[in-house]
Amino acid sequence: MTAAIVALGVVVGLLGVLVVGLLRSHADVLRALHDLGIGEDDLAAAGTAEGRRTAGRRTTRTTGEIRMVPGVAAPGASSSLGRLVDVSGVDPHGGAVHIGLEGSRGLTLLAFLSAGCSTCRDFWRAFGTDEVEQVPGRDTRVVVVTRGPEEESPSEVAALASDRVTTVMSSAAWDDYDVPVSPYFLLIDGSRGVVGEGAGGSWAQVVDLLRKAAADAGLVLDDEGGRPRFTRRDLLVGRDRELRADRELAAAGIEPGSPELYAPLHAAPGDGADGEDGAR
Amino acid sequence: MTDVSSYGITARLPRGWDARIAKRPDPAGDPAGPSTRAAPEEGISTRSAPAEGDPPGPLAGTEHPVAHLANFPLPPVRGDYGSGAVELMRADDIFVALVEFEPEAASTPLFSHRGIPRFGVNDFSPHTMQRTIAGMCGAQAFFNRNGRAFCLYVVLGSHALRAPLVAQVNALLAGLEIDPL
Repeated sequence: MTAAIVALGVVVGLLGVLVVGLLRSHADVLRALHDLGIGEDDLAAAGTAEGRRTAGRRTTRTTGEIRMVPGVAAPGASSSLGRLVDVSGVDPHGGAVHIGLEGSRGLTLLAFLSAGCSTCRDFWRAFGTDEVEQVPGRDTRVVVVTRGPEEESPSEVAALASDRVTTVMSSAAWDDYDVPVSPYFLLIDGSRGVVGEGAGGSWAQVVDLLRKAAADAGLVLDDEGGRPRFTRRDLLVGRDRELRADRELAAAGIEPGSPELYAPLHAAPGDGADGEDGAR
Repeated sequence: MTDVSSYGITARLPRGWDARIAKRPDPAGDPAGPSTRAAPEEGISTRSAPAEGDPPGPLAGTEHPVAHLANFPLPPVRGDYGSGAVELMRADDIFVALVEFEPEAASTPLFSHRGIPRFGVNDFSPHTMQRTIAGMCGAQAFFNRNGRAFCLYVVLGSHALRAPLVAQVNALLAGLEIDPL
């Protein structure tokens, strides 16, 4: 009886060691996948060819990326992150359009659309309504870029184009930024170039992804009724706290260089800023 | 530097500048044309030239080319003389409008200056704005070039700091070319 109990204990112990080992191995695999930037969504989509393409490409990018959803084509092999080229072309009525991006103020969202692409319809529609105002950032401008008149029908583009956004027909822009498909979006900062890129199935989805891309790139988007939004980076480096402290000091009449800043913390009543503690 | 050209107007743009060169269609023409894209400007109904010294005004709806050049992002909808855009300007911003008139106007006294003019610091005044905006100033000039008549209208974001901005404007105008019709 005793031998049976001991044997059972040994078996249970061995099984416990085995379970712990398996759990550790599983944790190692998850940690490795996490380090590669592959999350649960990618694993869920990995059963499809699209998912495999997306998941594979994710390993080469770390910042400012707009993630693709299943059913939306993944970007080309070459990333445009950091690229900064002005966009030159014509409007659908034949006039010249030049969008100066190098050193430009604020953010620019280049929306690469096509008149014949069914997925693009939601974007053409949204850009003709107040929905376009949902673009993150108060100064962010939206510029629709189609291929040039040699590849797109100007009259079709004119029928879809909205007064609310600038529309430029430029095949050169598609080449400059290696745009693989339509719809495709590039978020551009005038000093840093492309800070986010990717595709989405609807305007609402792209807006959400743009916010994440901007936050990942450390861009402050002051678009909530004038109330400043702090990025994750600001919060991590304590900029929020620093700004709040500056505001409260200014409200109390304490400016940079004010003698109060140099006064001893626990000075006795009557001690001035030049008291003993301050002289130490 | 980037060259932008359309309708016989070529502008050599410094880095980061925006440009649009468009032609307003005949109002009786294509209803889907860009006439629907013009921002309304106050008191606009005629296509005749403004009197010299008057603030620029009435010309939205002209079927002649209009060029807008700016060192800030131009909004999609603007009046010929920049309404809709100048309100967005900051202190170091520049807006340039080149508005063409009927070729017959080129032989009138108002457009008698030949060639693309240059501006001096004293040419700018807050009162030359189409609509006065605190701190800003404007200047306008009429000229003819290769048989074509133009009004050149410039807005600066800061009257107090206009000297360096005027230098930028003149550098831009030096790169402007106008071909014969």
